[in-house]
Amino acid sequence: MTRRMIISWGLALMLIFGVTTAQEESESSPDKFRVLDEDVQDLKKEVLDLNRDLFLLEEELLFPANSQVAFFVSLDVGEYFELDSVNLKIDGKEVANYLYTEREVGALARGGVHRVHMANLKTGDHELIAVFTGKGPSTRAYRRAATMTFGKGIGAKYLELEITDRVKKQQPEFVIKEWE
Amino acid sequence: MLQRRTPIFALLLLLAPVFPTLAAKGEQDPIVVNDPQYGEVLFYFYQEDYFPAIVRLLSAKQQVLLTDHIEQADLLLGGMFLSYGHHLEAAGIFERLLADNTDPEIRDRTWFFLAKIWKQRGYLDKAEAALAQMGDELPDNMMREARMLQAQILIDTGRYGEAVAKLASWRGRTEWSGYAKFNLGVALVRNGDVETASGILDELGSMNPYNEETAALRDKANLALGYSLLQDGRPGAAKEPLQRVRLEGPFSNKALLGVGWADAELNNYERALVPWMELQGRDLLDPAVQEAMLAIPYGLSELESISQAADHYLNAVEAFYEETNRIDRTIEFVESGDMFAKYLVESPSDSSGWYWQIADLPEGPETRYLYHLLATHAFQEGLKNYRDLTYLHDNLTNWQQSINVYTAMLETRLEAYEDQVPRVENTLGRTNIDDLIERKLEYDALITNIERSNDWLALATEEEFELWGEITSLEISPAASANIPEAAEVREKISLLKGVLQWQLEREFGSRLWEIRRNLRDTGELLVETQRARRQIDETMRTEPLKFADFSDRVYGLGPRIDTMQVRLDETMADQREYLQSIAVNELQAQKRRLDTYTLQARFALAAIYDQASAEAESLQEAETLQ
Repeated sequence: MTRRMIISWGLALMLIFGVTTAQEESESSPDKFRVLDEDVQDLKKEVLDLNRDLFLLEEELLFPANSQVAFFVSLDVGEYFELDSVNLKIDGKEVANYLYTEREVGALARGGVHRVHMANLKTGDHELIAVFTGKGPSTRAYRRAATMTFGKGIGAKYLELEITDRVKKQQPEFVIKEWE
Repeated sequence: MLQRRTPIFALLLLLAPVFPTLAAKGEQDPIVVNDPQYGEVLFYFYQEDYFPAIVRLLSAKQQVLLTDHIEQADLLLGGMFLSYGHHLEAAGIFERLLADNTDPEIRDRTWFFLAKIWKQRGYLDKAEAALAQMGDELPDNMMREARMLQAQILIDTGRYGEAVAKLASWRGRTEWSGYAKFNLGVALVRNGDVETASGILDELGSMNPYNEETAALRDKANLALGYSLLQDGRPGAAKEPLQRVRLEGPFSNKALLGVGWADAELNNYERALVPWMELQGRDLLDPAVQEAMLAIPYGLSELESISQAADHYLNAVEAFYEETNRIDRTIEFVESGDMFAKYLVESPSDSSGWYWQIADLPEGPETRYLYHLLATHAFQEGLKNYRDLTYLHDNLTNWQQSINVYTAMLETRLEAYEDQVPRVENTLGRTNIDDLIERKLEYDALITNIERSNDWLALATEEEFELWGEITSLEISPAASANIPEAAEVREKISLLKGVLQWQLEREFGSRLWEIRRNLRDTGELLVETQRARRQIDETMRTEPLKFADFSDRVYGLGPRIDTMQVRLDETMADQREYLQSIAVNELQAQKRRLDTYTLQARFALAAIYDQASAEAESLQEAETLQ
């Protein structure tokens, strides 16, 4: 009888208290976890700050503000067009060909803006041709181009390649404009 | 600029992936994304790629590019910090923003969400403080959950009396009432009031479950009640709740074991053997099954089946030995560190942070031993941290490579610049823009004089001027002055020619003057442009060395910062790994200790059986000798 009670005692306790004895042991070091967790939190903050500094350095080094031109893709509503890819040509030269994942298209549809390309351009006029490929109304293959001549002055320039729905015509619309 | 169906009420739908509890209150107000950098942050945020989203947001803030989204950006940053498991930093932002937030429901929802996260991470003091900040503006179901959270914190911190007081006043028939009753029962038992706890657990254990969750809760309550009664020396009463536990389920093994012990307590060993025998065929990893392997021979020996009992004890010792060996191998595996590589192999570059968890446990002999451990918050949260550290380590390794490239790039640029400077200076030295400007001004003055004096001859072409000279020299030649009819005719022709040429020059004068003025104006503009370019070159030559110095400082400064950070990451990863290994090994050693205890008990029992058999044999021999 004594033996039985010894065996059962621990088991009964673990059941009532909802955790096993071993787990209690492992859970019994919350202080250790917390100390480590706080270390991790500190490191995360420092690495994020370091990444910020590195990100800025990279951008300023590779694309100085004087010559920087950034091209952003945005999608407003997007019921008549399912984006697959965007191809960019600047002054007749292909500079970007970006294939979108489903997750990225979802992010665009929710309000995200994708910086599809960055370039260094001289001051003066430049021609941009953007070709959008995807599925149009009735899920048919759809390929449309939009073009724009823009002037590059001193200072960074942002161009938006916007895909919107033209409800009246039930067709997508592709517009390039300067982000003011 | 985008008119979007993204919510403007940033605490709400914008943070829906982060703050599901907040999203419920959101209105579908459109937002205008004015800053492309903000839109870019959203692009990564909506993909739950929090690390790059945070980096972009911090960078845009540093560059003061988010002029139109300052408030939203702070809120979004707080939400993303939380998503990334950076909860202390997130809390700092929310505390600051919530202080100014006039909407009490938003404030309460945020505190509630923070409390949940802190409870999960074991920051019970912070969780309690967050709950204390809440008012009474939460929707009913959320308020119930918050009260439950408070009660759990009280139980976890050993304040059973307070927990009982909180849970005893629980009202309502929602899904939370079952949990409230169970927790009340637990708090009462821990507080020493088994009698009251029994009534509550019995009520819960008798309910009709309407889903798997309530069925599991009912099983748990019955099990807790059954064992409480067993401990309290009431085996007859314990059987009923134990038999209410489902035969298949997470609690069935323990219930079967308990039913057996209840019958054994009632000296009904034949009945006790039935559930124990059922357990014998189940997974030996379960302590209930291990205990059943000892309970069976114990029951058999009580029924005087000594030989069968000895066989079962031997089987148990053998099974425990093999199990112990497997545990030893698992401990070796854990200590080797391979466990982490195996568990983190899934999308190692993903930065989803807080919401990450092991979707499917990897298969392997160790998994079955660590299954319970892996389900605990301590291990999951620790593993999450380890995974985040691995991501940060990979991230910095990539940056280290980039920074080497940038260093080389910068050196090349500097070399090219220093090579160009003397040539530029030489070219500039040969060109005096001021002289050119002076000459242009002289031309301006000359043209003004010509215009004022109507000097149409001054604008004649070279050919016209030569012609004019020839005509005037003819005019004054002696031959033309002779007093003869032929000479008179020549004079008349010369006069006619001169008149025609003058008429032509006077007629062209205006247009020639305009053209010259236009050329002078163009020249002036070009000179202005040249002056501007010159100033720009001068400015560039002044600032470029400063820029190079700035870039050099940054490039050469960031490299060592990365190195230092990598060292710290390595150390923290080692600590985290050691921590996780220690809790895994502790778990395994606890299992091993239990098996050792059972083995020892089995050996003692076997020894007792052998002693008894030996004593019986001796007395039989003595009896035979005497005869």
